[in-house]
Amino acid sequence: MKSILKIALGVIAALGGFLDIGDLVFNTQAGALFRYDLLWAVVLGTLGIAVYAEMCGRVAAVTGRPVFDVIRMRLGFGLGLVALVASTVVNLLTVAAELGGLAIILQLLFDAEFSLFVVLAAIGLVIVVAVLPFGGIERIFGYCGLMMLVFVATAIHQDPDWGAVAHGFIPSLSSSTLYLYFVVGVFAAALMPYEVHFYSSGAVEERWDASSLKENRMNAVVGYALGGVLACVLVIVSGYLFHPLGVEPGDLGTVALPAQGAYGETGLLLALGGMMFCVGGAAVDSSFSASYNLAQFLGWEWGRYRGPEKAPRFTVSWLIFLFLAMLIVLTGINPVEITEYSVVFAVVALPMTYLPILMIAGDRSFMGEHVNGRFSGLLGWLYFALIVVLAIAAVPLLLATNGGGG
Amino acid sequence: MIAAAVALGVLLAVLSGCGDLSRDELNRGAESLSALAAQGELLADGVARDATKSTYTRVMAKTLGGEAQHEAEKLADSEPEAAVKSERNATVQVAGELAGLFSELQTFPGDEHHGALVKKHMGEVKEQADAIVARLSGEPAQ
Repeated sequence: MKSILKIALGVIAALGGFLDIGDLVFNTQAGALFRYDLLWAVVLGTLGIAVYAEMCGRVAAVTGRPVFDVIRMRLGFGLGLVALVASTVVNLLTVAAELGGLAIILQLLFDAEFSLFVVLAAIGLVIVVAVLPFGGIERIFGYCGLMMLVFVATAIHQDPDWGAVAHGFIPSLSSSTLYLYFVVGVFAAALMPYEVHFYSSGAVEERWDASSLKENRMNAVVGYALGGVLACVLVIVSGYLFHPLGVEPGDLGTVALPAQGAYGETGLLLALGGMMFCVGGAAVDSSFSASYNLAQFLGWEWGRYRGPEKAPRFTVSWLIFLFLAMLIVLTGINPVEITEYSVVFAVVALPMTYLPILMIAGDRSFMGEHVNGRFSGLLGWLYFALIVVLAIAAVPLLLATNGGGG
Repeated sequence: MIAAAVALGVLLAVLSGCGDLSRDELNRGAESLSALAAQGELLADGVARDATKSTYTRVMAKTLGGEAQHEAEKLADSEPEAAVKSERNATVQVAGELAGLFSELQTFPGDEHHGALVKKHMGEVKEQADAIVARLSGEPAQ
């Protein structure tokens, strides 16, 4: 029972980190455009994040070093600084997208001015983070995000052609640039860098050590598997309902429509509630990640568990990131567009995040007996090769498809 | 060489009817309107069945109606190729009707009777948009 409760970190990473506005948007659009054809890309991305989350959690537990500490150590100051700037820009865009997403969902629930909800969402996040301990934040967003299970019930209710759904898990490529753009988008949305930044820093916040490795593995497997199932289900319900009608889900509110179709107002409220906690959790994760990275790179005291008195620069930088994100959303840019750009640009920053993790997890002098095994090492390098290919292809595909607009 | 290229460009523009709205662009616009109408139909279905939340319907109708209105204005302001002028006018009309239907949903987000009527009209507007797409692309309407 205790070990089940302990997987909270994995669950929030999966729901509040994995299943963020990027996943909601890209997976729903993927289903609407290509029906079930991109399910394999969701699985590929889910497996990738599970592999790297396990690795960076293991590194954090064994060495006490979170990701950005490792990046600076392995890449040195110059390249580390490039990685810091790239990940900070991506994180800031992500926080803005999540904050905007949160405001959209609040607007759908309470119907008032969007800008008012942007400010209220930011204030709400500050209060939640100020009042609750790290574990409390995890549990609130992680467990309330389980309302997203309504999409699983929706898929069962819709009863699609399960043979066609199963066929979607077989990898296939197409010469269509739009299809390739969505392969990159769906894969990248699963592997957003902030997820591993948050996961490894969270492991340090929770004082993991070598005895936590089993918990780490369970978090990575159970948490991300759950996130992966929900991401697949978003593709399935969208493919079933939207694809035949030709609906192009360009708005966050459209994501909830299948649940309303299946279970009426109750389904709609569960869907919006689940989305609110997932996106809210991701806003916390990504804003924390931005501050974690900065503090770890510059050698500041950091961590929610230290409190504002012992980690003042970390706390102030977090507030500044949140404030800047709020200003970006208040300019009126559509949060869904910010999401699409942040996900695609994140792909470019991925190699600099994942290479140092891979290197240190495979270094016996650091990891001792917990060094990467042959299988996890091979899997890690295969994924790294894939990440490099996608990093090269991401921006040309973004331009060729006019940001997925076709 | 450059002068020849410019002259060729001008000639092609003249031959194509001088318009800044091509058949393909108009086709994409009509497809977007069909997609919006399909979404509107789903939204109105929730209202008709009393299976939704008024705030959700109102905000979604406002957003989607804004998109339809924007499409109508964009198409109305464009200069179409001569061959697709009548289709452009038909598409603008469809966009306007769609914006009107979303406006109705926004005004009566909790009225089941209105929801059923809007749903029916959304279906008709979608058929009109699909018919335009079929004429423009030369493929039968879905």
